[in-house]
Amino acid sequence: MNPADVLVEAGRLAAARKPYVLATVVNVVRPASARRGDRALVMPDGRVSGWIGGACSEPAVVREALQALADGEARVARMEGDCGSEGVVEVLIEPVLPAPLLTIVGESPAARTLAALACTVGWRVRDDHVEGADAVVVATMGHGDEELLAGALSSGAGYVGLVASAKRAASVLAELRARGLDEEAVLRVRAPAGLDLGPSSQEEIAVAILAELVAWRHTRGDSPFAAPTEAVDPVCGMTVAIGPGTEQTVHEGVTVAFCSARCRARFEAEPARYSGLRAP
Amino acid sequence: MRDVLETLERWAADGTPVAIATVVGTERSAPRDPGAVLAVSAGGDVAGSVTGGCVEPAVYGEARDVLAGGAPRLKTYGIADDEAFEVGLPCGGTVHIFVDRLDPGLVAPIAEAVRDERPIALEIKISGEDAGAKRLVGPGDDGPTGELLARGETGIVETPEGQVFVSSFAPRPNMYVFGAVDHAAAVATIGRYLGYRVTVCDARAKFVTRERFPDVDELVVEWPDRFLRSAPVDERTVICVLTHDHKFDVPALKVALETPAGYIGAMGARRTNEERAGRLRAEGVSEEDIARIHAPIGLKIGSRTPEEVAIAVAAQIVQVLRSPKPASEEVAAR
Repeated sequence: MNPADVLVEAGRLAAARKPYVLATVVNVVRPASARRGDRALVMPDGRVSGWIGGACSEPAVVREALQALADGEARVARMEGDCGSEGVVEVLIEPVLPAPLLTIVGESPAARTLAALACTVGWRVRDDHVEGADAVVVATMGHGDEELLAGALSSGAGYVGLVASAKRAASVLAELRARGLDEEAVLRVRAPAGLDLGPSSQEEIAVAILAELVAWRHTRGDSPFAAPTEAVDPVCGMTVAIGPGTEQTVHEGVTVAFCSARCRARFEAEPARYSGLRAP
Repeated sequence: MRDVLETLERWAADGTPVAIATVVGTERSAPRDPGAVLAVSAGGDVAGSVTGGCVEPAVYGEARDVLAGGAPRLKTYGIADDEAFEVGLPCGGTVHIFVDRLDPGLVAPIAEAVRDERPIALEIKISGEDAGAKRLVGPGDDGPTGELLARGETGIVETPEGQVFVSSFAPRPNMYVFGAVDHAAAVATIGRYLGYRVTVCDARAKFVTRERFPDVDELVVEWPDRFLRSAPVDERTVICVLTHDHKFDVPALKVALETPAGYIGAMGARRTNEERAGRLRAEGVSEEDIARIHAPIGLKIGSRTPEEVAIAVAAQIVQVLRSPKPASEEVAAR
């Protein structure tokens, strides 16, 4: 995949709302196998398409890329001397995460304003089913709240909120308990939804809820992707992210990970020489 | 009533008789605030809402009855929680709704005043012999209605002859945004959602363009401090200082602190804020006044993008203006 194709593929993934990382070589001090402008995509499972240098820089880029997916922050990774003969390669790592999906159920002025405001901060908004939503806000003013909340809690949404007065919120939660929902699930419902900003108009309630959603998004780490599990390659000493494509072998009952097939082969030829360096 | 004024004007122009149902009071929680209106035309058309769908069918019936010659009436939809679903207001609240005919001659003066941002109030007598009597009141009124109008509030006034519901159409409060930066566009957009008349002001003409600020009510090329010396400011006014350039911000904040503005916020990282406070002190501004400035601007919710910052600012504005005491900078999620 050449650098232009990488951008075409990146556009396709973005349109399909798939997460990925765009890695671009921005600086090279020779000797290095990468050139400035080389690009690759790193997928959440660690797969790489494109070229950002050979076996030396790729594992390090993948590791940084997976961390970027986890924390949502772009960064520049600088790789020097990892593989003896190599020079310096600097790679701009840009995580691209799809906008969170918010389902708002119910017709009320607060629900309408919340939908409009959520769009302004770049969230996607739906008003029908809860499946696949990152956050669900129930604002029916009382028409079947219990069923909707129970559905939202079992849908995998990370944020579940109920628009109601404190009094009605308490009675809805009591009803959920009476229906046999476990306490842990009931406690996940933000009820009343939104930061407590004082007595509020419908528009102000929408602001309070969106402020809580922004806070929730950033405190959970901005990303559904966990930071990658890492290990140190005992041959070259490089830190690698462990994924489906990682070179691994089992030595004395312990899994050992490598940056490349070459390091793995060297380890397998002389395990005694390297096993002292094995990472836990 | 604002949301249905256009429709009411059209009906008035057609000479269509109209009944309006007005929320005149709420207890505990209710979906819409006092002043909300459901209007029903003689042709059966409907505009607006009084509860967001809960009791509209019943209210519609009352309005039709009034249009057919029935007397004005005050209805209460008050709900014990266990009966909630039957009656249709499951919010567990109570709403008082006054239903009567609307004289079409009253519509145009209200609509014009709202368009021109002039304060005007509609009085509706809701009890006593002459229930249903209406009167328009301007800002010159020195009675209780004038007092409500001056504060932009809607509510019931007790008089010896009975209760009068006062619906205030106060001009939108002003939000002044200084600094035509990216954050300003986002703050302006959400300010409009909250009902503010938004002005963006910056001395640098090349930044103050309609392309960058399609949403704002007014764009002004002027030094913010000079602009603020002649701009109207009251307790409802919100001032957001976003330039984070001391050259513009320090004079603007100095003038802002001389006004009764209800909210003053200033953008900038901690060092910028400390430096700015130092410069204000050097200009003779008191510690008490410096403490009025919300800086860094916005609640701490981890905002990253300008739009997220705007949400944090809006949430802080609501918190500060809704709170009778000095607000804390941080709110925990409920």
